[in-house]
Amino acid sequence: MTDTKENLKSALSLKFSIRDMGTLIGLVIIFAVFAFLSPVFLTVPNLINIMQQSAINAIVALGMTLVIISAGIDLSVGPVAALAAVICASLMVAGVPSSLAVLLALLGGALYGLFNGVLIAYAGLQPFIVTLGGLSLCRALALIYTGGNPIFGIPQGFRDFINGSLLGIPCPIIIAFLVALILWVVLKKTPLGEYIFAVGGNEEAARVCGVPVAKTKIAVYVISGVLASIAALILVGRLGAADPTLGNLWEMNAIAAAAIGGASLMGGKGSVIGTILGAIILGTLINGFTLLNIQSFYQLLATGIIIIVAMLVDRATRGR
Amino acid sequence: MGEERLSMRGMTKKYGVVTVLKDVNFNVLPGEVHALVGENGAGKSTLLKMLSGVIKATEGKIYLDGKEVEISDPLSARNLGIAMIHQELQNVPELTVFQNMFLGRPLKTGGLFVNKQDEIKQCAEVLKTLDPTIDPRSKIGSLKVSQQQIVEIARALLDKAKVIAMDEPTSSLTPSEFEKLAVLIRRLASQGVSIIYVSHKMDEVFKVCDRATVLRDGHFIECVNMKDETEDSIVTRMVGRKIEKVGHKSYQSKECVLEIKDLAREPVVKKANLKVHRGEVLGISGLVGAGRTELFRLIAGLDKPTSGEVLVKGEKLKLHSVKDSIAHGIGLVPEDRKLEGILKAQSININMAMPDMKRYTSFSFIKRNFLRKIAFDIMKGLNLHPLDVDRAIGTLSGGNQQKVIIGRWLASGTEIFLFDEPTRGIDVGAKSEIYAVIEDLARQGKVVMVISSEMPEIIRISDRVLVMREGQIVAELEGDEINESNLGSYAIGQNTKL
Repeated sequence: MTDTKENLKSALSLKFSIRDMGTLIGLVIIFAVFAFLSPVFLTVPNLINIMQQSAINAIVALGMTLVIISAGIDLSVGPVAALAAVICASLMVAGVPSSLAVLLALLGGALYGLFNGVLIAYAGLQPFIVTLGGLSLCRALALIYTGGNPIFGIPQGFRDFINGSLLGIPCPIIIAFLVALILWVVLKKTPLGEYIFAVGGNEEAARVCGVPVAKTKIAVYVISGVLASIAALILVGRLGAADPTLGNLWEMNAIAAAAIGGASLMGGKGSVIGTILGAIILGTLINGFTLLNIQSFYQLLATGIIIIVAMLVDRATRGR
Repeated sequence: MGEERLSMRGMTKKYGVVTVLKDVNFNVLPGEVHALVGENGAGKSTLLKMLSGVIKATEGKIYLDGKEVEISDPLSARNLGIAMIHQELQNVPELTVFQNMFLGRPLKTGGLFVNKQDEIKQCAEVLKTLDPTIDPRSKIGSLKVSQQQIVEIARALLDKAKVIAMDEPTSSLTPSEFEKLAVLIRRLASQGVSIIYVSHKMDEVFKVCDRATVLRDGHFIECVNMKDETEDSIVTRMVGRKIEKVGHKSYQSKECVLEIKDLAREPVVKKANLKVHRGEVLGISGLVGAGRTELFRLIAGLDKPTSGEVLVKGEKLKLHSVKDSIAHGIGLVPEDRKLEGILKAQSININMAMPDMKRYTSFSFIKRNFLRKIAFDIMKGLNLHPLDVDRAIGTLSGGNQQKVIIGRWLASGTEIFLFDEPTRGIDVGAKSEIYAVIEDLARQGKVVMVISSEMPEIIRISDRVLVMREGQIVAELEGDEINESNLGSYAIGQNTKL
């Protein structure tokens, strides 16, 4: 009997990863096409380049994935990121130690996430509208705070850290990997993960069995705010400046990555691995089209097609 | 009665290698009310879906008035005069009655504009014969469910339907509303309309139907005349075995576990007072809308009461807190499993762990193996087949899902079980298993409260019954007092007995 149990267990995990397998196959096909068209595509430096380009979107998209699994949406990630960036940069320029500035910026992102979460969980407002409001609000705050000008003079130490690497792997990739690992553990191994799926899958049933629905919702928006801030700080480190207009359309790229990776806007569905693969697919498109020297218009076209194809494949493989 | 109105011959449906319906014959005469009965999964829905053009038969032929017809999609079924009235009524709540009735094929003037006046007129004309109190211009969402159903019937008549198939039409109707529907159905039949009536409720089938076709496991079993049959004989055919009936038992303990004082949520629940004792099964009877479910929701902490208190073993509960109710050992098994019960994509074991996640967590990690073992033992005790606690709960049958929901509360150390319509949508075979579980809970000294709209169910399982009417507890019945006539008269009438 333990035997059959084990078999079913493996069958179950296999079933769960079929969707991720599909995303992986998609990625491999895209890789194959570019590798065929460009001789430099499949080289180690270029692959690292792709990962590095995907890292920022991946981090934002992972936060978005949790929100989407909980049947919500967070449109405010880009401007929240911008706000965190300018807070962090201005503190650093003012002489605050980098580590403290970073912590405060992440706290800022967390607080805005808390604000989103409270409005959604306790005031019962719709996530789409609340975070749409946040999209304008945070952008405005960032612009007002900076007078619309980028903040320069980011300390070299911080820049070196972000632009540094460990064993040849750039720091942003390592950060993205750590974030992914932590969220994977949260989703797969902790009560919070099960709560997020429960709230997104059937909020009413979750309430009946005593799931802390409000706290769970707040948690995902806080996580999303923090991750958007982390992504912002990586960008600040790489550019050496904090632009209040940073993070434009991040929410769309994040939703795209999550959706390609199998997250359902209806809630209750989504995976860390899928979203990472989704982000890499998007990054690969940018990279490949740049290598081939094709106008970026076509890259946009390809992105659109891939999102829609991913959804069609999703539908077809799910049966009904 | 003449020739057959509808004849389905050799209907077979295969999905890949799985055959869900095999060589089923089904005949309906003009002016006949014909029941289609069988357990869940017997193939009733599949047969109806073929008739209404939702799915295509793998094999089989359909004849209407002796002529072979091809039903390729829902529209062609409608054009042939076949109407379906679904269990979940299909209307747009925000639109008016007449707009709903002409949805998808509006009357037009000049081929461009909707002719509202004519629509209202035609709508009123049909409704006049069915229920003149329904105003064609009122929003359909503002009507009672029973009235919405009448609108669906009206739409079928407007379509000049010759065959009307009703799938579980009374699942959200009160007994008195059913009586009205029964009269209406008989009248339609006397006008020559053929009616297919699908229901789990045997008493209804006996009241309204002339004949019944019994399906089991996708096979045609028999077509019988209702007047030659008894409930038992039909049920035995449906399940292929005899259903055991359990008699009353009297509870022993006088220890009051749950007490409710003046608990109210105006205007749906008015000052309810009750006590439940260890080992007791307390039935809550009454019509749909009498405030029974709302009372349960107050006890479970889901809604906020306007006044009153709940005491568990003398200890006052924090009101409107699901967490506190669960902590005091209260567990709700809700009426609508899909909406309020199951987390369908998640596994059986996680569904069971939800209320008491702390127990299965150490250092914020879920102890999966510990959880699996507990879930496995509990579900084994509840006779879950197949006994695989890693399966997603959404893939189980209604009866098995219900067992898991019960298991959820057993795992959480629940002492007070609130069952709201515990056997709704569960087939006959699984029903008696659920009854056995409820009786077992009482025997173990748990406290059980059961809401049920099915009188035989309440009579069978309750030690004591409270009858609710318009938000109030109006009668308390014990022993021989628990019978259909008492339950009915207190639920509908004016009398009280406390």
